[in-house]
This record gives sequence, structure tokens and C-alpha cells, in this order.
Amino acid sequence: MDDASEREFAEYFRARRDAVRRTAFLLCGDWHRADDHAQAAFVKLHRHWRRIRDRDALDAWVRRTLVRSVVDESRRPWRRERFTAEPPADRAVVPPASEAVTTRHVLVDGLRAVPPRQRAVLVLRFLDGLDVAGTAAALNCSEGTVKSQTAHGLTALRAVLGDALDDLRPAG
Amino acid sequence: MTDDERLGALFRAAASDSAAPEPGFDHDSIVRTSRRITARRRTAVVVGGLALFAVVGVGGAIVLPGRTAGGDAATVAAPMHAPEGPSADSRAQRKAPPPAAAEGGPGVLMAPAPGAAAVGGPPPLGPGTTQCADRQDPALRAVVEEFLPEAIGAPEAAVTEECRPGGERGVNLEVGDGGTAGLLTVQYLPPGAAPSPPEGAVTAPTASGGTVVVSTRGDGPGAPAPFADRLHPLVTQLAPRL
Repeated sequence: MDDASEREFAEYFRARRDAVRRTAFLLCGDWHRADDHAQAAFVKLHRHWRRIRDRDALDAWVRRTLVRSVVDESRRPWRRERFTAEPPADRAVVPPASEAVTTRHVLVDGLRAVPPRQRAVLVLRFLDGLDVAGTAAALNCSEGTVKSQTAHGLTALRAVLGDALDDLRPAG
Repeated sequence: MTDDERLGALFRAAASDSAAPEPGFDHDSIVRTSRRITARRRTAVVVGGLALFAVVGVGGAIVLPGRTAGGDAATVAAPMHAPEGPSADSRAQRKAPPPAAAEGGPGVLMAPAPGAAAVGGPPPLGPGTTQCADRQDPALRAVVEEFLPEAIGAPEAAVTEECRPGGERGVNLEVGDGGTAGLLTVQYLPPGAAPSPPEGAVTAPTASGGTVVVSTRGDGPGAPAPFADRLHPLVTQLAPRL
């Protein structure tokens, strides 16, 4: 890559690193694994930087790479997530802490029980603030799929958290 | 606050950086890793290309028959050749030169040793397996075409349905030799069968103990016969293969 492209990439990296880490964290529920996924996405972006002509689509490209990385990892045998009909007994127990910590623990634990693709839709829509069309573009699927995955994801989240979801306060 | 806005606020609070550890990567580590992967991919492509080139080159050298300075002296055993018997595909193989044969008399050549084949070549064709003589035998035609490429694609001549003792093979072709057209007949007689060659035919004992008879005649009375000057070399080449 030439110097100008390197500078452009460095600028984009500085501006977007923390946001990408946060998205990765809610997608996988662990900061260290989130770092791995975010780093992999940025490395891939750096390798393809010159071939991505539409600079306005960089965010969508990184989100798609990130989601694919997390979903692919969830399919590996040693990482494969198992879904159960009944949540663990202490799943919805609110730990005694501040509201911000409580919100983080409960929501992140609840998201882990949501299937990966539905989780990705929820994260892109409610954390990154994408609309249906933007989420569909980022996930390379139809808007109808985004709508149905959103509904199923919220249902799954409410099934796990129950009233705890409504009791949470967006503090912090 | 709508439900979506409230959910958005909850998600942002859950992903707050306040409890996040320090990032485990920075711009330099990203660039380093990217360049390392790119270099590794390029190396893999180059090594893969060289390996493919080597495989194709070595494979081609093994499969394709090479020609030596001696011309037809080159011979390579085809890996797909079935060693247990003759095949119509034997035309694909190049043949070692037959042992030098001395003429035993006009139109009759000396035989190779019974049962002998060309060194490194396929075993002799031997008698046929049908009850009646096959007057248009595909296996015999393949051998003939091997030594007389002009016969490839030549139409089969009309033959009678006369039933001769089993084991006899024959090929009757309408051939052209420049401006000369006519009938080329190659006949293999099994061991013990007495040949009755037509005028001008060339015969020779074969490696399987039989007899090969090759004759040619032109179209019409007095017409020149095609390949008349090549009957002796043809018989010499056919004898070790039949």
C-alpha cells in the first residue's frame, strides 16, 4: 500500500477501533475474544484496502466481516454454542452492583442465549443504530430476513431475561 | 422514549467502554500482521505454482513418449496397457523395431521365434476367438493401422460371409495410395492352417506360430495396386505382433 493509503487506513482505524470492539463484544460476550475478532476484521480490511473503492461502505464491510468471523467461530466444534429450552437457574439473577454493571451483565448474558445470526441483527440494530436496510446491507441478506430475525431475537432475549429486560435501566 | 430507543440505550450501556480492558492491538500490529499474511500468501502462491509446474513437467515427461535421434526406435510402455492380452488400443503404443528378418524365398519371410514378441512390446495377437473367421477383425486392423497409417479411416471392403475355421482373422480395406486405389487384404491364419496366398501376396510366419498374408490389388484389371512396394516391410512389422 502506498503512503496515502496507509494514512487513510490509520485514520479510519483510529476513528473506528473502539466502536468495532464494542460491537464485537456484544456479538461474542467476551472482551478478549472481541479483540481477536476486531483485530481480524481490521487486518482483513488492511489487506483489501486498495480494492474497496466505495469508502462510504467501509463500515458495512467491516461489520459484515466481523459478524462472519463471530458466527463462523460459534460453529467450530470447540466453540459451538448449545441452546437449551430452559435457561440456567441463575441466568436472570441480577448481581448486586451498580445499575450500569447490572445492565451489562444481564444483557450480555441474555445475548449469549440468542442464536448468533439473530444476535448479530439485534446488535447492529440497537447498538450500531442501523435501520433495517442498513442491517440488511451489512449482513448481505434481505430486509425481510432482518425483520424476522429481529422479532425472533427479541423473543429469544425476552424468553431468557423475562421481566429483567424491562426492569433494566440504560444507565452508564 | 420508544421501545427501540430504550433497547438502543440498553445495548450501548452494556457495551460501555468503562469496564473494557485496554485494546489488545494497535495500528502497528494490524499493519505488521497484514503484511506478514500477505507475504505468506505470496510465498504459498509461488511455491504452489512451482510445485504444479514440477508435477505437470514430470508427469508430461513420463506420459508423453519421447522421440530419440533414432526416430522410431523410441518406445514407452503406456501405463494403462493391459498386459494380459492384445487390445485394439495398441495403436497408441509405439513399437520397437522387429528383429531383422531374412527372406526365405520370394514373397516369404523368415519367422520370428514362436511365441516371441518385440522386446518391450505387446504380446502377439494370436488366433481369434470366434467360430468363423472374422473378415473384418478390429484388433488386427488396429495393428495394421499402426504400421500403415494411411489405412486409418479407410472404408471396409465388402466381404463374403463364408465361414472359415475359427481363429482366422482378416482385414479387407478399400485404400488409396496417392492416385492409386484398390483393395488391401491382411489375413492371419492360426497355427496349422495352410495358406493359399493370391498372386503377389507376401506371407510370413508370425510370433504366435501362425501365418500372416498381405496382398493388394488395384481397382480393375491391370490397374496398379496401392502400397505394392510396402508389402514386405508391412509383413516384417506385422509378423512379431501376430
